[in-house]
Amino acid sequence: MSNIKEQTLSAPFTWASTLEILEGVKVDEVGVKDRVSSLATRSIKRESKLQALNYIVSMCDLTTLEGEDTEGKVLQMTAKAVRPDPSDDEVPSAAAVCVYPSLVSTAKEITTGTNVKVAAVSSYFPSGQVPLESKLLDTKFAIDEGADEIDIVINRKSFFEGDYRKVFDEIVSLKEACGDKHLKTILEVGELKTYDNIKKASLLALAAGSDFIKTSTGKIPNGSSREACYLMAKAVYEFKLKTGFSAGIKVAGGIRNSKDAIRYLVIIKEELGEEWLNANYFRFGASSLLDDVLKQIRKLKTNAYQSSYYFPRG
Amino acid sequence: MTEIKKTYKNYVGGSYVRSESGKTFTVELKNQNYELPLTSKKDLRDAVTSSKKGYESWNKLTEYNRTQILYRLSEMIEGNKESYIELLQEHGLTKAAATKDVDNAIDTVVWYAGLADKWEQVTGNLNPVAGDYFNISHQEPIGVVFTLNSSDVSIDKTIRSFLPAMTVGCSVISFSENNSVISLKLAEDVNNSDLPEGTLNFLAGDFSKIIDDVSRHVEVNALALYGKLNKENLKTINENASTSVKRVFNLPSEEGLSSVLPFIETKTVWHPKGR
Repeated sequence: MSNIKEQTLSAPFTWASTLEILEGVKVDEVGVKDRVSSLATRSIKRESKLQALNYIVSMCDLTTLEGEDTEGKVLQMTAKAVRPDPSDDEVPSAAAVCVYPSLVSTAKEITTGTNVKVAAVSSYFPSGQVPLESKLLDTKFAIDEGADEIDIVINRKSFFEGDYRKVFDEIVSLKEACGDKHLKTILEVGELKTYDNIKKASLLALAAGSDFIKTSTGKIPNGSSREACYLMAKAVYEFKLKTGFSAGIKVAGGIRNSKDAIRYLVIIKEELGEEWLNANYFRFGASSLLDDVLKQIRKLKTNAYQSSYYFPRG
Repeated sequence: MTEIKKTYKNYVGGSYVRSESGKTFTVELKNQNYELPLTSKKDLRDAVTSSKKGYESWNKLTEYNRTQILYRLSEMIEGNKESYIELLQEHGLTKAAATKDVDNAIDTVVWYAGLADKWEQVTGNLNPVAGDYFNISHQEPIGVVFTLNSSDVSIDKTIRSFLPAMTVGCSVISFSENNSVISLKLAEDVNNSDLPEGTLNFLAGDFSKIIDDVSRHVEVNALALYGKLNKENLKTINENASTSVKRVFNLPSEEGLSSVLPFIETKTVWHPKGR
């Protein structure tokens, strides 16, 4: 797998031009639902399915974000990310592991010398309800520990209070703190609720310099949805037309089976094109998804439905 | 008054579902024909996923509680006795034979309900060993069991194809062919008996269409074939099952304690004797 894409947005948008792109964001809800459900009916045949499943593995950010996380648990999960299916050489490594900042150095022990990146959630994930200074400190700590990618949450408090400027400025500051590390901005689409909000937040995060926009923290019941992914893809596309910058999308929260994951791939392929079908531009944040994908890959190869107890824990 | 005909559907994970393939097959009875879902590979896979969950929920319950739930099933069947007799007559049985079959079925359920919290006392053991240890044969359910119902038109027989495995704590996928209307009707009473979702699932269709998938599926722990199969099919099943060390029981006992034995695994526990 290639390394993280080189291109970053040279300078964040000015606030004035950001306001311009936010103006008049109106989403046709019925149209979105209709398009997304029609894309879900695409039939994927055997060979394409195997390729899609391998893609999904290579796009996985294997995630553990629990208070109960220990070094042991993270080591085990990271080993699984490097070699998801030890009995099958053709199965690629996952894209990254995603952990809390305090466990970055633990994950690094195993990923050093491999293609697997270490992503850390910061800015007081998952709520983000602290002053910017604390968020910056949190982010700097993660980077010092060796994180390759940083996942932050947007300030939903300010977003709902209508203070878009504050949301924007915070992302700009965090991006600055990240330097050349990749910044993924979590919108928490389940809390944003309306399609207009999702599209606005996407554009806001992109204009502020995010390299990726991400659906959800995975900490609330309404995590990702295909409709949200579609809207984010649309925002990424519009942003590319405006700036020439190709941002990535990460979907996370509640994607548990291969069938669902493949439907996300279809959306990305149809709305953004094949250029986006790799780990540099599209990711799945997942903990249980990987198990199902591994099971399906082996099912395709052996014709026998599998059980997860034949795959590594992690 | 308009007569409304019932659409029978598969029963998976506590819901009545059509085949995802949309396919059906026809069961012709005396006065009317029924279109039943023709179970596809995917339906089977869904049923296994739900049984896997059902197995956990069924095993979380105490044996005493399982007894109560199974006993409730007998109450439910008793309440709908007349409609079962009618359905059996539709299948060609005389009224007397049908009544007898339903009575037997209720007795069978009560018998297994009673056994559900007693079987381990009978099949387990404290073994004599030459040392200062207790040596205990602890009994455990085998897991997810797929059963092929016999082709006899009988509620009692249908019940005897899934209750032995359930009594010891297994979850069951019960598959029927020509007599599917009976088992899918039974699903309604099962649904009303407080059984945890997925513990017992009913599928209808043509067994030859899923034979390969069910015998290869790694998460199915045992196949109990109460229906007769030809040599060729049995060979396929045994070969496929061997890849995941799946137990295959061809025409297992349907009577008494011996009927539950195939679905039990023995764990031997050593424990030092205190001095």
